[in-house]
Amino acid sequence: MTNRRAFMKQGAMALFASGIVGGIPSFIARAADANKLFMPYKKKKVLVCIFQRGAMDGLMAVSPYTDPNLKQMRPTLFMSPAATEGKQFDLDGRFGLHPAFDALYPFFKEGRLAIVHGVGSPNNTRSHFDAQDYMESGTPFNKGTASGWLNRAVGLLGHDATPFRAVSITSALPRSLYGDNEAVAINNLQDFALQMKGNPIAPNMVAGSFEELYDQTTNKLLNRAGKESFDAMKMLNVNNIKNYQPTAGVVYPNSPLGNSLKQIAVLIKMDVGLEVAFAESGGWDTHFNQGAASGTFSRNAKDFSDSIAAFWKDMNAYQDDVTLMTMTEFGRTAAQNGTGGTDHGRASCAFIIGNDVAGGKVYNNIKSLAKEDLEDGRDLPVSIDFRASFSSVANNHLKINNNSVLFPDWDGYTLNLMKG
Amino acid sequence: MTFANDLCLALIKPFLSFSVLSKTYSMNWRRMYKRLVAGVCLTLVFAFSEKGAENYRSVRIPYKKYGYTDRQAAARLLDRFSFGARPGEVDAVVNMGINKWFEQQLAGDDADTAVTSRLAGFKTLDLDNETIVNTYLDGGQINRFGIKNGLPNGDTIQGDKKAYQERVRNLMQQMGLKPLQELQNELINQKIIRAAYSNNQLHEVLTDFWFNHFNVSLTKPQCQQFILTYERDAIRPYVTGNFSEMLLATAKHPAMLEFLDNASSVSDNNKLVNKKVEAVVQQQQAAQARKVQGLNENYAREIMELHTLGVDGGYTQADVTSVARALTGWSLRPLAKDAPARNLFEKGLQNNFGNRGFIVEKDFFFRADKHDDDPKTILGKDFPTNGGYKEGEEVITMLAKHPSTAQFIAKKIATRFVSDTPSVSLVNKMAETFRKTDGNIKAVLITMVNDREFWNQKSVREKVKSPFELAISAIRATNADVQQPVQVFNWVNKMGQKIYYYQAPTGFPDRASYWINTGALLNRMNFGLAFATQKIPGIKIDLASLNNNHEPESAEDALKVYSNIFLPERDHTENLKRLTTIVTDRSVVQKINDAAEKNKEAATPVAINNHSMISQVAGIIIGSPEFQRK
Repeated sequence: MTNRRAFMKQGAMALFASGIVGGIPSFIARAADANKLFMPYKKKKVLVCIFQRGAMDGLMAVSPYTDPNLKQMRPTLFMSPAATEGKQFDLDGRFGLHPAFDALYPFFKEGRLAIVHGVGSPNNTRSHFDAQDYMESGTPFNKGTASGWLNRAVGLLGHDATPFRAVSITSALPRSLYGDNEAVAINNLQDFALQMKGNPIAPNMVAGSFEELYDQTTNKLLNRAGKESFDAMKMLNVNNIKNYQPTAGVVYPNSPLGNSLKQIAVLIKMDVGLEVAFAESGGWDTHFNQGAASGTFSRNAKDFSDSIAAFWKDMNAYQDDVTLMTMTEFGRTAAQNGTGGTDHGRASCAFIIGNDVAGGKVYNNIKSLAKEDLEDGRDLPVSIDFRASFSSVANNHLKINNNSVLFPDWDGYTLNLMKG
Repeated sequence: MTFANDLCLALIKPFLSFSVLSKTYSMNWRRMYKRLVAGVCLTLVFAFSEKGAENYRSVRIPYKKYGYTDRQAAARLLDRFSFGARPGEVDAVVNMGINKWFEQQLAGDDADTAVTSRLAGFKTLDLDNETIVNTYLDGGQINRFGIKNGLPNGDTIQGDKKAYQERVRNLMQQMGLKPLQELQNELINQKIIRAAYSNNQLHEVLTDFWFNHFNVSLTKPQCQQFILTYERDAIRPYVTGNFSEMLLATAKHPAMLEFLDNASSVSDNNKLVNKKVEAVVQQQQAAQARKVQGLNENYAREIMELHTLGVDGGYTQADVTSVARALTGWSLRPLAKDAPARNLFEKGLQNNFGNRGFIVEKDFFFRADKHDDDPKTILGKDFPTNGGYKEGEEVITMLAKHPSTAQFIAKKIATRFVSDTPSVSLVNKMAETFRKTDGNIKAVLITMVNDREFWNQKSVREKVKSPFELAISAIRATNADVQQPVQVFNWVNKMGQKIYYYQAPTGFPDRASYWINTGALLNRMNFGLAFATQKIPGIKIDLASLNNNHEPESAEDALKVYSNIFLPERDHTENLKRLTTIVTDRSVVQKINDAAEKNKEAATPVAINNHSMISQVAGIIIGSPEFQRK
């Protein structure tokens, strides 16, 4: 893997070889010109967000096992640290972590994983679409908000950007990144090149022609985006991606999430200016036979935690710069349903990982799971607004302090999940 | 099922009486739309019957006054009012007469045989919502279907999913059922085919524009079965017609009712509701609690913020709530044959729901027992108690005719057709026409095309094509034969525009900066290359025939020839000057020859000849900045 300085050397040679003009990428030069980036190559803080689509059962992931109601409502799904099969990790004498999250448990012990429980949206919709939409726009009662909260976060960073400042490893831009600030959605970083495969003729002619044409166009936007595209393409030298070797001993699960996080790792290590990254994890809509120690939920949880743990290990020297947070649109019913699963509920839990995180703790305001304490008599109520958790990470890790722009129409308190 | 209970309440009232069904319910709507469109077309040619429309009687575009030749004017009109000029089309428009062409585009009544034949194999385009819901099953329906027919639950299958899917598929096939994806494919494909091949180009451009204005999304499961009929019935018939009618049609269509949740927005302020029984029902509902019950303001907010007044259009939160209350009960009838409420609904229909103000109009269902009967004040106007269905209709008409709406819509149209930042004076003129004609879209377009600003040199080439526009314009510029429209969809998605899947009700933003960024731009260049070098499966082009089978003699010559074909009436001098040095570079030529040599030795030699060079050059033109602009 090349780091930025090595790239500059290699890159310059590559540019020379291909006869393409340029030395220092123009967006970096511009940023330096503008005196906005004091040190263009200085490592930046990176926020990695994982959206768990489908609504994760927070009560199974992190169970308040001491509450007798839980066992009663979940005769076949209940788990605890005392169980013989599917023994949970005891987090604090009250909450137990599902054993499939074993790869994450060390993070908790080391104080790098904070769990927020009873978190969700004040809007009580139980529709996946609506709840995801609201969480990603960051305005739980307004559908028409044009931008997503992560895009607004990017806009509040207050310094100039590279094309890779906000990247989503998805085929289409997620709602979270809709908005005025540039954000790239890409499924596979290897696509980030002029694709000449199967074109036997002169890639240089094509690349040279395009570069020349975009360089001279009178349309400022096309001109600038053109320059940046060519710079970016050179930075992301496809061979570097193809031959990427993670840190020794790290094996990413060969799953969509594992591959997404691996690509985010590539971007971080190449120092291309990534600050906000987005990835998705699916399969959490467990209406039927979700299983306990094994089964659908467990398999999913294993992939999820193994992917994250691999990513973290791979981050190696970059760990201080990265915070990873997870989110899901809502939780699931406190009681299991007639088909061994759980239906759409309200609050769930979230994981926040990083060296800056005040971890080793389950942040929560959960009372009990007695019927009278449940929302509509059936669901874990939302006792922490998702914005209280999101804003804590954004404020501390990304140094964004304008919460009224980040989350318009919200004046709630911000949790304190981070150190310092 | 909450709805069944609601209906039950409505039905158990002892004072039911029988009467004729709502007339419109049994009407053939498609036929009516056709008549309506035909009617509007006549109106254009002879005179606008709408008040104040007499000023827009005929089209006399003053392009000469602003220094345009016929060909230049034709090229400019094709750039903005079509998805791009086909080879030779500029001349065709000039020959027909610029004004006549524009009038014909406004009328949109060409028989369009090319489109008809390409759509001949499509099965879903004429279906109604009921047939679709009962034939094209979504994931949940398929799962239930499987269980009902003795198959194991699809969500629990762990090992051999394929075998299970195969069994379900076979069983569905036997019973004439299909997966929803087939409907969605045809929805996507028909848009691509019409945009590429329709002679009624302006109607296609406007259908795209208005759909985006009244955006609904395939990402929302509750409305995904209705998107095809939404575009067909609530958008397409109105695109040059009356804004107010289109607004009402979208408001009452199942897709919009579901997308912005109005179908589940209900009130208890209602004399038809027996509160005591209702309380029991509500408890049951809470126990099931799948849907949020009560007032839902989503649609009320967006109809003002996004569809009519605009965010600064002068409404308050109190107005939002009042509009939501006025629209409580606006819902859709149960369409699934096995819907629990279906029988009750049919029974109710037989006696016109006891003549208590229920309205059934095609699939729209006004549930009088869920409407807020209390008086309301909206934008300063009082609506008295017991307004029923008519109240909502009045509110919608009032919004359509509000001066802020005229301004908001005028600006949006000008942004699409003139510039990302249209001048205040142009917007004002268009808004004035909108007001004077009570929202006649055709009249507004005529005002726009007659205005100096439309012809301002500064706005020429200043709009950047959306990815969809780019792909379709490439197809048109090359007379490409698209056999697999889905490939176009995939590329358009790659370039940043997943059509029909935009999640927010705002629709895709209409400004260059949204479309042009690093990743997207590289993909535009890659699209140009893949397209022109025929690397996209299912899309055939014959570049030689575009040049009457004269093969250009050199790369330089090819550049000249195809620049003029793909981008008529643009100035290519600078491009040619710059590119010529590259494409005629000796070392490049040498490399080409080397590559050719290498390939000759390959097991399956790729034909390296002039063709490859030409297609490469064509790819460069399509991926060039000039081709991104319109």
